[in-house]
Amino acid sequence: MNDRKKVKAPAIRDERLFHNVALVLMALLALYCLAPFFLMLSVSLSTEQSLNTGGYSFWPKEFSLNAYDYLWSKRFTIGRAYGLTILVTVIGTLTNLLLTSLFAYPLSRKDFKYRNVFAFVIFFSLMFNGGLTASYIVWTRIFQIKNTIWALIIPGGLMGGMNILMVRNYFNANVPYSIVEAARIDGASTFRIYWRIMLPLSKPVMTTIGLFAALGYWNNWTNGLYYITDTKLYTIQVYLKKLMDSIQFLKSSDVAAESAALAFKALPTESARMAIAIIAILPILMVYPFIQKELVKGMVIGGVKG
Amino acid sequence: MPKLMNTRSPAAQASSPYDDVLKKRKRARRAAEFKNIFPMFLMMLPGIIYLVCNNYLPMFGILIAFKKVNFSIGIFKSPWVWFDNFRFLFETKDAWIMIRNTLAYNAVWILMGMAIAIFVALCMAEISNRRIAKVIQPVICFPSMVSAVILSFIVYAFLSTTYGFINRSFFKDSPINWYASAQYWPFILTIVHFWQSTGQSSIIYMASIGGIDKGLYEAARIDGASKFKQIIHITLPMLRPMMTLMLLLSVGRIFNSDFGLFYQVPLGSGLLYNTTQTIDTYVYRALLELNNVGMSSAASVFQAVIGFVLVILSNAFVRMIDKDSALF
Repeated sequence: MNDRKKVKAPAIRDERLFHNVALVLMALLALYCLAPFFLMLSVSLSTEQSLNTGGYSFWPKEFSLNAYDYLWSKRFTIGRAYGLTILVTVIGTLTNLLLTSLFAYPLSRKDFKYRNVFAFVIFFSLMFNGGLTASYIVWTRIFQIKNTIWALIIPGGLMGGMNILMVRNYFNANVPYSIVEAARIDGASTFRIYWRIMLPLSKPVMTTIGLFAALGYWNNWTNGLYYITDTKLYTIQVYLKKLMDSIQFLKSSDVAAESAALAFKALPTESARMAIAIIAILPILMVYPFIQKELVKGMVIGGVKG
Repeated sequence: MPKLMNTRSPAAQASSPYDDVLKKRKRARRAAEFKNIFPMFLMMLPGIIYLVCNNYLPMFGILIAFKKVNFSIGIFKSPWVWFDNFRFLFETKDAWIMIRNTLAYNAVWILMGMAIAIFVALCMAEISNRRIAKVIQPVICFPSMVSAVILSFIVYAFLSTTYGFINRSFFKDSPINWYASAQYWPFILTIVHFWQSTGQSSIIYMASIGGIDKGLYEAARIDGASKFKQIIHITLPMLRPMMTLMLLLSVGRIFNSDFGLFYQVPLGSGLLYNTTQTIDTYVYRALLELNNVGMSSAASVFQAVIGFVLVILSNAFVRMIDKDSALF
């Protein structure tokens, strides 16, 4: 008895030490991941004077909601960008889900003899792409997409090859083929089988790719960068990017100090800029606790095959 | 089948009394097959149109790299210059800088990233209080949810010369102009990259650790193996297939870079090109800031072709190791 204790005791102590060190390290990592967001929040809640004298800090030296008042006074510009982002996200995500599942379903049908041809078409598009220059010329020269709302929705994100393969695999693995056959014998049309059987049975995978598509649309700023110059079509991300551009431009340009100061005044203050950035991540922050499980699941699948 | 039918003479066809029945049956079968396949084609049609516009037309666009594009006469009429664009591109200093940066950042980040991701996954598995672990995991994943534009605001809050947190807290007397000092950016970008990607990349390893048979650890404990030895002799060997897989997959993407991180986070500052220019940012700048379609498409095609070869090669290796994980 005594002997056993002697052997086991150091192992347990060793394990407890490991647990505690791991816990502390991970807590620190979590803090490190969150701290920058606190800095943003703190800046947005500071008065402009305190920022000018004390700089950015993790706790507002003088608390004020002026930045958010400013947002309210600018609600038409910012609200427009915000509304457009929501519109693009909703249309883009729904179209993405529809196109992806419509394409994936025939690929999963064993009686569709061209399914391997189309699977290869998808594979190849994943392995090889023409690059930005060619895409840009195709979208702007052939489809004349510049400065239209379509430029925010269509290029790049409307349908992902990886998602199609993911949904196809899900159909193959989780929807028994006998159900499809039974439905066919009962006289259901192909489209009816898709709409009434495949879609309801594939809710989990559709939720995951839908969330990633929505996140992608909400965070997309490159399409706006490439194809949009009309300020009316700025999404919130593009709006923020252009804001940063104008600040950098004024700081680096040689315009006379007076006119630079005047132009600076027209721009949102330091705290107001952070406030806009905060409201741009607010929707993600609000839904994140509820969707994180789905996102993690998607990351495990997408991380390996992405 | 139709070929066979045609070779027969009409007389021979008429001679068989069953031919009519056979023909009818064949026609009926074909009609049924068409009725079966046609809706599927119809369902795929929107996707096919999108693939053609978004993926396959740009593939033909690589021909632009071999032309001297003049939009006033159109791309098709523009003269062929074959490899001139590539020659001009590789004669510039930019080419060397962007290729060096792309490869160096990727090489260092792939190795560092793997070590960090596995370390984090090991720590997460060690946390005995599962409820705390379930809170920490989404928190460390959250940075990957924000866009590069938001990221640039965050970095700016730290690095802004006049108000930035770093200058105000640590370099009050002699503020550093971060956005004009290229030598710091390898470190800044590394910190930002790992801030954003650590959670996401560790998740895959967490999932694999979760799949390891607990009996192995029990047996090791009974044999008196310390926690450290358990990690060295059980966890890491069990993670090896996944490590190899992730390594090969990232090697396949070694000529690609995160455009947002390298373009937007340094705020497109021209003074930082030496350490922030990658192939992706060069392609963008040459196309939309310098209006040099030739150079841009040459760099773009160079990246696409080498990337394609690397993906094929790395996938071939993946296939050799683990057939199920291969992309094709």
